[in-house]
Amino acid sequence: MPKRFDQARPFLTLALVVLGWLLVPVAVKLFTRASFFELQAPLTVAASYARDLQDYWTLRLHSNSELIEAGRDLARLNASYEEAVQQNLSLQAEIARLEELLKLPAYAHYRSEHARVVRRDFSGWWQQLVIRKGRNFGIPVGAPVIFAGGVVGRVSEVYAYTAVVELISDPSVRLAAVVEGENQPISFQGGVNTSFDAPKGVIEFVPLNVYASPTMPKRLVTSGLGGVFPPGLNLGTIIKVEPSLDGLYKSGEVQLDPRLSALTEVTVLVPLNEQ
Amino acid sequence: MRRTLVTFLTLLVLWVLVAQVNHLLGPAQVFLFAGGLFVTYAALMLPLRDGLAAVLMAGLLCDATEPVRLGTHLLLFAAAHAVVFNIRDRLPREETVARVIVALLVNLALFLALSFVLVGRGPSPGDIWPRLILDLVCSQLFLALVAPWFFALQLRTLVLTRVERDPLA
Repeated sequence: MPKRFDQARPFLTLALVVLGWLLVPVAVKLFTRASFFELQAPLTVAASYARDLQDYWTLRLHSNSELIEAGRDLARLNASYEEAVQQNLSLQAEIARLEELLKLPAYAHYRSEHARVVRRDFSGWWQQLVIRKGRNFGIPVGAPVIFAGGVVGRVSEVYAYTAVVELISDPSVRLAAVVEGENQPISFQGGVNTSFDAPKGVIEFVPLNVYASPTMPKRLVTSGLGGVFPPGLNLGTIIKVEPSLDGLYKSGEVQLDPRLSALTEVTVLVPLNEQ
Repeated sequence: MRRTLVTFLTLLVLWVLVAQVNHLLGPAQVFLFAGGLFVTYAALMLPLRDGLAAVLMAGLLCDATEPVRLGTHLLLFAAAHAVVFNIRDRLPREETVARVIVALLVNLALFLALSFVLVGRGPSPGDIWPRLILDLVCSQLFLALVAPWFFALQLRTLVLTRVERDPLA
């Protein structure tokens, strides 16, 4: 074999790989993607179960008096939650009665599906989570995901027993939001997530009459427009707004919940009409 | 075929390990990228076809688990493999230090290439670079620490599965 050809062999092979990849049908590529994801899924899930077991043995080290104290606190919390559940039921009945009376379209209804986080993947390029529930629990693509502090993101991919959640701090995520108590829609986008700091987002097309600063922050909530997220869910706190270059609107910065980076459990809102 | 599968298995172990470290570093918003390790040993030590096949499978694994266009890692890894394979005869590739240096350089090149491909996704591409540079520094430190262990793991796995001969025997 001539020496020149031998030297070019890796690059000729590379050219063949590129050409081959361009010619592969999309269906084959999608199948390959799903296959490789499912290949690593058992390992990731097993690691998450191992972490849970580790936590369990760590908790076993607590003394009985600590457990009794925790049980007492939990009982108090349960009592207040039971009261809240009763109030919630009567409010739901009231809403249903008013909807019927005024012939209003009903709000979308959701089923809550709680899921453990098996993998956090927070780079400067993307922000995503993998959760331990997928098609086996009827999780659909696009379902909103929430936690105690508000919106986590939306389900972007669903596999056999895991699902990928795109966080609201992901730079490519966009959604419609409103300032709490107002009704003018604002465009929210995931922002630059600096290290050792809480995740951030940016807002655009903010009306000129909205003011916010670190000393006078405003709460940003979902608008309900677009049909993915129910209205009124917490997104974050607007800490800065300034006029945009065109002078027609303002743009600003949103501080997201710092707990978003350390989530261990989330809730997927599965739309009931999906089923 | 066996050499490809065994090498891919070691790369799968590396992927799991890096994913777990990134999971733990998530609350600090620090991300480790070890693309250089997926390519280096296969490009320096294995025959072209076997090494490239293992690297392509590792690229597909990374593509499947990250929100990038399918083929991004695959093509970047393939390009890095071609470059390293082409110059490997001019490198002291039997020495661990040389392999680690190659891994660091490949990792740097892949990280920058991936950054230029993905940086446009955000609202202000210019502001993201300090975060990316910190991630890069952490990744290089991590890679320098684990690379000797990982190259030894790859070699021992190939020896244990009787794909390669033990160089110490």
